[in-house]
Amino acid sequence: MQPLRSPYNPIHIPLGLVIWSLWFVALYGGLSVGCSLAPPAPEQGQWNWLNAVLGLFSLLTMALLLWLARLFQLAARRGAQRPARSFSARLAAGVHLISAIATLFIAIPTLSLPPCV
Amino acid sequence: MSNDKTDKALDPDQLHDQFNDVWGNPRGWKALTIVNHSTIGIRFMLTGLGFFLFGGLLAMLVRTQLAIPGYEFLEPDMYNQIFTMHGTVMMFLFAVPMMEGLAVYLIPKMLGARDLVFPRLSALGYWCYLFGGLILCASLLLGIAPKAGWFMYTPLSSAVHTPGPNSDFWLIGITFVEISAVSAGVELVVSILRTRGEGMSLNKMPIYAWYILVMAMMIVVGFPPLILGSILLELERAMGLPFFEVARGGDPILWQHLFWLFGHPEVYIIFLPAAGIVSTLLPVFCQRPLVGYRWVVLAILTTGFISFGLWVHHMFTVGIPQLAQAFFSAASMLVAVPTGIQVFAWIATLWLGRPQYHVPMLWLVGFLIIFVCGGLTGVMLALVPFDWQVHDTHFVVAHMHYVLVGGMFFPLLAGIYYWLPHFSGRMPSARLGKWGFWLVFIGFNVTFLIMHWTGLMGMPRRIYTYEAGLGWDLPNLVSSIGSFIMAMGIATILLDIVLHFRFGQPAPKNPWKADTMEWATSLPPCPYNFVSLAKVTERHPLWENPDLPESIARGEHALTVIDHGRRETWGVEPLTGKVREIIHLPGNSWLPFIASLLIAVVCLGLLSKFYWVSLVATIAALVVLFRWSWENGAHPNAAPDAKVQPGEPPLHSRTCDGPGLWGMGVTLLANGALYLALLFGWFYLWTVSPNWLVPDAPVIDQRLLLACGVLLAIAVLWQRPVLKRLSKGQGEPRTLLTCFVGIASIGLLQSALLLWALLGGDLAPRATAHDAVIVVLLVYSLVHCLLAAILSVLQALRVHHGYVCVQTPYEPLVVEQLWQYNLVVLWITYCSVVLFPPTFGGA
Repeated sequence: MQPLRSPYNPIHIPLGLVIWSLWFVALYGGLSVGCSLAPPAPEQGQWNWLNAVLGLFSLLTMALLLWLARLFQLAARRGAQRPARSFSARLAAGVHLISAIATLFIAIPTLSLPPCV
Repeated sequence: MSNDKTDKALDPDQLHDQFNDVWGNPRGWKALTIVNHSTIGIRFMLTGLGFFLFGGLLAMLVRTQLAIPGYEFLEPDMYNQIFTMHGTVMMFLFAVPMMEGLAVYLIPKMLGARDLVFPRLSALGYWCYLFGGLILCASLLLGIAPKAGWFMYTPLSSAVHTPGPNSDFWLIGITFVEISAVSAGVELVVSILRTRGEGMSLNKMPIYAWYILVMAMMIVVGFPPLILGSILLELERAMGLPFFEVARGGDPILWQHLFWLFGHPEVYIIFLPAAGIVSTLLPVFCQRPLVGYRWVVLAILTTGFISFGLWVHHMFTVGIPQLAQAFFSAASMLVAVPTGIQVFAWIATLWLGRPQYHVPMLWLVGFLIIFVCGGLTGVMLALVPFDWQVHDTHFVVAHMHYVLVGGMFFPLLAGIYYWLPHFSGRMPSARLGKWGFWLVFIGFNVTFLIMHWTGLMGMPRRIYTYEAGLGWDLPNLVSSIGSFIMAMGIATILLDIVLHFRFGQPAPKNPWKADTMEWATSLPPCPYNFVSLAKVTERHPLWENPDLPESIARGEHALTVIDHGRRETWGVEPLTGKVREIIHLPGNSWLPFIASLLIAVVCLGLLSKFYWVSLVATIAALVVLFRWSWENGAHPNAAPDAKVQPGEPPLHSRTCDGPGLWGMGVTLLANGALYLALLFGWFYLWTVSPNWLVPDAPVIDQRLLLACGVLLAIAVLWQRPVLKRLSKGQGEPRTLLTCFVGIASIGLLQSALLLWALLGGDLAPRATAHDAVIVVLLVYSLVHCLLAAILSVLQALRVHHGYVCVQTPYEPLVVEQLWQYNLVVLWITYCSVVLFPPTFGGA
């Protein structure tokens, strides 16, 4: 069994989507709690503190996912001699990349819609 | 570890006789003890077929009632029961168990293994499914079936609006059936990761196994929210704890969240294994590998996760902020992308191959057409304004049937026709098979294509009848006629399958020239699948080595010695498929049957309100389950003799990383999903419940809860170094005994403190949802802590009997995971119940 920190440990294959899931729950939960505690005025439209926080959080998550995708891509190149390792790392890189794209796509509405209406 | 024995002259017939002595299935009453995956898988599928026919009959009744306006074929109350039961039976008793049954049957064979890793769990799952399904269906025959729709929305399903046992049958029956789903999920995950053939690395794994791995993980994480919701709603109905009642601080929308947290992934839990059938069959009928294997794996994983982010799209009309709706709308559109990747991979495989149009291919092409249409209407429904227009109309019913029938039933039929030789040793008939397909295909489209228009014209779902002149008369009549054509098609298929057992041509070896290992068995297969376990280093083993079935049958590969009387298969490293240990499997046993029978008595006691019967049956079931756990490892009924052949790895029970560790880990994942759903409910109600009632002062003694957390931490910290030494082959039995007795005592003391906190506080669980949730959180921890304490007592007894020692260090490591889980859960509960409220305006 590969050590947990090794990029070839198969537990990392779904890691990107696990991060995406946590981000998604935090996004929806953060929106709900924000609207419950201190809802921005509707006339502010989409430019308000809550959308800014959610948007920034999404950008940071996307950046983390892209960075991890790059790490796993490099690991896949290093492990190219061993097909199982290369497969695992390349799959993990793909999962992180897709998760980053999913994060961006789902967060785009924060640029166009008010949060609590 | 390929232990090729070409140099040894083994008599294959003698070898097979020896294997049959150990693996053979008993007949008569003792057939109830069978735990073998082939038998259990077939039982799942036959039972699923029975429930399918029952659910189909209900659909016919619904379509008859709706055929003409103002028809009085059924009473309104009976109509409500019938449509509710149709959806419930098809989703919970047919679609999921059928796919699980097929996977239970196929996965070990495809992986080159002899059985699933927890055979007794397979059997328990089957009996829970059967008994739960029968209890549920019996309610309809008694005229007291659930009638609030298959998603049981509150407040309609609550005691006020649905008095009587109708909703209870759903809540208790479905929870019972879900024991089966979750147990199969756990078993499939561990089997796929740990019991593959030697050398079968992840990149060489059959694509079907990837689909089942993701489906099983989705079950493990996706079903617990519904189990929790069902428990909460049943507590509300039976004991008056108001989780979903606004007046006392609950919220009916919480039920919708819990239901759809399960409900949307459920669609993909059904679709993914069906897509796995497609990805397995298409390459065979095109005689070329699947195009884009890695892309398809990526798509499966992505679908599995993103499908959890869609649940709110079933709730677009309940009044959620637009931005939140936009998040879920975007996620709903996004999930079409990985599905699209698979569709393009299938088209490319067809394009590049030389397709042969046997009957299974007809069903695959039918699937592609219908499922793509269903997927497109799904994207339409993901758009919020469109969803608002057609919500709760027949458009949604049509979409759902396109996705579920197209996405599950058509591939299932393709798979059944393809694997028929496995069950009968005979080939299906092309003529009747084609008639069956075309009748179903035409009947289905006549029924449901038209239904899109009926919905667009505004006809709501679930109505008992309608007035003439609304424009719905003709489309409803056409849909009803179509449904009867479809029923004729299904009757034709059944006739074909029955007749083929008598008149079908005997199947040759590997009749479709397939690439996967399930065709390396005899037809029908022996209970042990393979008499010798071959090394599998290619993704398409039978294309690379067509003689593999013969060499396996001649016993030329590994693990052929069976005079020890153990059922064995390889345990492998998850990534590379390198052999690490020999996994010894339990044989036939009455325990799963008895345990499930007792759980059925628990359910019947709850339904009939004879709670003392349930209590007695619960205790009896626990005794049986503890006996089950006793017959493991070095126990005389398991593997008292640890001898293996020279050069072979050790038995798993003599290592520190057997499948039980993985099984416990995955089970705790399911358990954690249930706990997180409960925690979600707590925070959800704090945040949005319209009438959330918070007491002025703390309702429990917070010091007691703190003391529980500290005691639990002491127990966990005490056993860690002891078990670490045990893993390294050190540790006197006396030290172990002291440790287990000590931590069991701490566990019992801590459970007593929890009980004190629960009973000694000012909790009023019937008065407010706030207190009701706290009670459930505390009871959850109490049950788990008691369980951990009892398991540690058992470990102490096993040390005393010599079943646990430095040579057999495995079991305490399994139990330790539960202690660690309990510690984390209790501290999260402490933070949520004690530390969080003051920060959010509570006491």
